[in-house]
Amino acid sequence: MLEGHISKAFDGALAALHIRVLEMGGLVLAQVREAARAYTSWDALAAERVIARAADVSGYDESIFQDQFTLIARRQPVSRDLRAVFVMEKSVAELERAGAEARKIARTVLQQSGRPARATSSDVRQLAQLATGLMRLSLEALDRIDGALAAQVIAYDEELDAEYAAGLRRLLTRAMEDPRHLDIAMEAAFVLKSLERIGDHARIMARHVQSLAPQGDPPADEGRSDPLDDRAPASPSSPAADPAAPANPSTSGHDAP
Amino acid sequence: MSSVEQGGVNLKPSGRVAGTSTSLAEVSISQTVGQLTVPDPVFSCRDVSVHYGSKQGVRDVSIDVGKRQVLAMIGPSGCGKSTFLRCLNRMNDTIAGARVTGKILLEGRDIHDRQLDVVQLRARVGMVFQKPNPFPKSIYDNVAYGPRLHGLARSRAQLDDIVCTSLQRAGLWDEVKDRLSQAGTGLSGGQQQRLCIARTIAVEPEVILMDEPCSALDPIATARIEDLIDELRASYAIVIVTHSMQQAARVSQRTAYFHLGSLVEVGETDRVFTNPRHKLTEDYITGRFG
Repeated sequence: MLEGHISKAFDGALAALHIRVLEMGGLVLAQVREAARAYTSWDALAAERVIARAADVSGYDESIFQDQFTLIARRQPVSRDLRAVFVMEKSVAELERAGAEARKIARTVLQQSGRPARATSSDVRQLAQLATGLMRLSLEALDRIDGALAAQVIAYDEELDAEYAAGLRRLLTRAMEDPRHLDIAMEAAFVLKSLERIGDHARIMARHVQSLAPQGDPPADEGRSDPLDDRAPASPSSPAADPAAPANPSTSGHDAP
Repeated sequence: MSSVEQGGVNLKPSGRVAGTSTSLAEVSISQTVGQLTVPDPVFSCRDVSVHYGSKQGVRDVSIDVGKRQVLAMIGPSGCGKSTFLRCLNRMNDTIAGARVTGKILLEGRDIHDRQLDVVQLRARVGMVFQKPNPFPKSIYDNVAYGPRLHGLARSRAQLDDIVCTSLQRAGLWDEVKDRLSQAGTGLSGGQQQRLCIARTIAVEPEVILMDEPCSALDPIATARIEDLIDELRASYAIVIVTHSMQQAARVSQRTAYFHLGSLVEVGETDRVFTNPRHKLTEDYITGRFG
């Protein structure tokens, strides 16, 4: 919907901006995945890679801002084109913040204060799967400028919030049962919070996409595979279920934090 | 509501009302999208069509022009916007074979009324053209011509006062006050255009029509004219035809988009340029069609 200008150069400039934002989104998604894996596997090398690539995320932020600035100055976009430029800008801001959360998680690993217990890792893994699934879906909505898909992201964020609350409760219960590792539990709580925030950024991005998408989009295809499942290809199983996690995490056993 | 009663004349829209809205402000006449009517309009046009022989240049255009606001008319070349503009002071009467139908009311009175003096009409509805066209006379005489013709000044002092005031309001006084006897044609393009505006406002019109007034001017002169338009808006209704969408966005409060002789959409400029309702409008202003 961003193409079709008489000036092909204008089409090209808008498309290039769109692609740059999606590229940045791909990088942020990889950062979030790697940071979560670094935490759950307690992998310092992976965490270092996340920190090293953080500069690339900032680089995208700066260069996309320059592209937007040039496009506005040279093309003076109006109406949906202007909205598109602003949606790109707002999406970049959300991606930058999501990238910062990934960096926080990686720093937690590098501090090496203590490896989380298996049950905590499992909770983080499950929430990370939901958060990255949401981010991937939001980027897909931005790619296709798909209002229906964006609406799904917004709806699924509630599921992530519920999972975050449940994970936090389990973590606190384990910490109360064994207060010797309270510091590790607190760090794990911050990691869970970061993942929940990443889901929020994906939701906010989806809201921006909705403002750009043509009105009256058809409802989402109910028969589609679960879009929240971050594993590729999309699995038809229950939402983002981690095969290693208990069937009902809210009732899982309480071991050390 | 399907008709407007104003000034004793029944303004009946074509009846091709789109949608189910019953609000006069929202009613769509002749399939035009947007808000055609304004409270207390200076011009009310209904179902205005213009034919040149067998060719139709304007089709069933219905629109109001509000007091103390700028209405910008945009659209691709040949869409009928200039032709419609020329209907408002009956300039099309001078074109052989041109036939105008429909109602055009100025302050509630039909401008095609046989008892209406066209010269008086053109004093009430002044016009500024694309190319500055000062008379081959002095700067003073260019501005004094209209007031003399219409007997607006009883004495030389009064005429001097009108010339001075008009040049001041056109933002030209400081640049020409010491050379009023010099030829108007000796001024720069931008100054000539402002002289033409001074000449237009010297006869105290109610409406000023502008047909691409800046297309022959450089950006600085254009900015001066646009600034002047904004100042003149406090006293007059202004209808401007422009090919520059940025200019329409900058100077107008309402924008009308014409396409193939029809008025496609009209509304608040802020809305038209941020959230147009008709796809043709959006495609035009975003540069996807022209």
